Amino acid sequence: MIQETMTSWERVQAAINVEIPDRVPVLPMQTYYFACRYKGLDGYQMVKERERAVRAHLEVYDELGGFDGQVIPGISFVFPRRISGIIAEPLYKVPGVDLPRDSVLQHDEREILLPEDYDLIADLGWNAFAEKYYGKFNPRPASKILQWGERQTARYVDDIKVWNEHGVPVYKGGEVFSPLMFFSMFRTLQQFTFDLYRRPDRVEAAMDALVEDFIQDAIEEVRLTGRTWVMLVLERGGCFYYPLKIFERFEWKYIKKMTEAWVKQGITPLLHLDQDWTLNLPYFQDLPRGCICEFDSCTDMFQAKEILAGKQCIMGDVRASLQTHGTPEEVQEYCAQLIDVVGKGGGFILSSGCFVPVDAKFENVKAMIDCAKTHLPAQ
Amino acid sequence: MSELIDAITNIREDEVLRIVRHRLKVGQDPVGLLDECRAGMAIVGERYQTGEYFLGELIMSGEIFKQAMSLIEPKLAGDTRIETIGQMVMGTVKGDIHSIGKDVAAGLLRMSGFEVLDLGVDVAPEAFVEKLVDSGAPILGMSGLITPSFESMKNTVDAIEKKGIRDRVKVIIGGGIVIEQVRHYVGADAFTRDGAEGVKICKEFIRKADR
Repeated sequence: MIQETMTSWERVQAAINVEIPDRVPVLPMQTYYFACRYKGLDGYQMVKERERAVRAHLEVYDELGGFDGQVIPGISFVFPRRISGIIAEPLYKVPGVDLPRDSVLQHDEREILLPEDYDLIADLGWNAFAEKYYGKFNPRPASKILQWGERQTARYVDDIKVWNEHGVPVYKGGEVFSPLMFFSMFRTLQQFTFDLYRRPDRVEAAMDALVEDFIQDAIEEVRLTGRTWVMLVLERGGCFYYPLKIFERFEWKYIKKMTEAWVKQGITPLLHLDQDWTLNLPYFQDLPRGCICEFDSCTDMFQAKEILAGKQCIMGDVRASLQTHGTPEEVQEYCAQLIDVVGKGGGFILSSGCFVPVDAKFENVKAMIDCAKTHLPAQ
Repeated sequence: MSELIDAITNIREDEVLRIVRHRLKVGQDPVGLLDECRAGMAIVGERYQTGEYFLGELIMSGEIFKQAMSLIEPKLAGDTRIETIGQMVMGTVKGDIHSIGKDVAAGLLRMSGFEVLDLGVDVAPEAFVEKLVDSGAPILGMSGLITPSFESMKNTVDAIEKKGIRDRVKVIIGGGIVIEQVRHYVGADAFTRDGAEGVKICKEFIRKADR
């Protein structure tokens, strides 16, 4: 074991500041589903049997020997008390309700917004558009939708309390999509791609109009939860999907605007970068200091270190399948390599690539955590 | 390079449709037009494989091709046979409703001359087996994004074995997180995280089967 001289919070903050902590912090992302499955709960129970699930989550945290905190405290989300924050509600597919009982919560991508909505959003901004037209994408009465959002927020705040009482810090206070991710999810990838070619000016006008609402929504969520991280959900704008000219016009300028606004407010933007962003990495050098670039194993972490060293904190990226089908030795070996190379000089948080999978092997998750506690970066 | 091929390869939707309409109107051979469209799509596929193009261009060119085909197909004689290099069955496995990776792979395979029998998402092992038996396709491609999909992939391979057709069906699995250990667990012949590599593997399957 490495002699620890910092608290978990201090250690994580040192990494965000691209300073050298006492050891590399380790923050497996979203351990809820994995913990519940490990304790024998099926997908339906994970969603519906809250007390049992929360207990399982805590127990597994302890059995793993603890780690540097929870990025995401449970499965609930935070919503400001506005219809606009909960457009995704009809897209959630719940195990035992819409999916097989032992499945996991999934997002069913459908065409919720239509091309003409770009013009309405460009005129009204996102929040005013959603207040006026929510019936287009959710048939439930506004009062019911708002109640759902309030319930989710209250549970999220409860989850934070549970962890804090357990002596564990929670980091994420809010979560929003980038404008590109948002339209891609709610127009569908295919239709949105057509839009980029057929009506790019209208797409851009809508993005320009909604980005300020998204910035403010995140600030409001942080205020509601008292946590300082905002997860900026990104996947569809990277080089797996589009050339750099599209990235520059429809993704990068908004990422920059959002992160700069948040950092000014003392918020830590967690850029949740699913899929491959390797070609986009040079742009991230120009993010404001104080962001976290979190990768899911599709981006080359070692190239990320070369490009972002000394500038941005990097987080990731033990591949989900290595957690489910690898051995503890393989996990340990990969984590040690990450710590040696990406952890050198600070600015690194060891983590799972995206969420810890529901069927991860306990010993593999433990191997990741233990590696951070025992392996110092090679100098 | 013809005007039509150039328009397809450079993703100019309006121009492609204008050319196709005009040429059909002046009585040009629809089979020749079809060949040109396919040649254009093959170049798009090559550009994707070399990293010049990205998924966005694949999606958009696929849409343009589809629209061009909707103009050309009614003009084709009933007995016109579209040549393919091979047939394969594809789908996202049971319990997983993600379609992007599968659609990318299917699009690339079609551009490379495969006939893809796409069963969609959340496909049960029995449905894969039924389609493999009915079609006689020699390749099965299974996609999955979430780790529980690996169990469904394994169940599908088991079902193929049980049906007694495993020796004539090559199995490839794909998805952003698959690794060798997963291929081994599932009992597949190959795995890939890269659509372009997947095409090469499937072509190799066909080449070996033709020997």
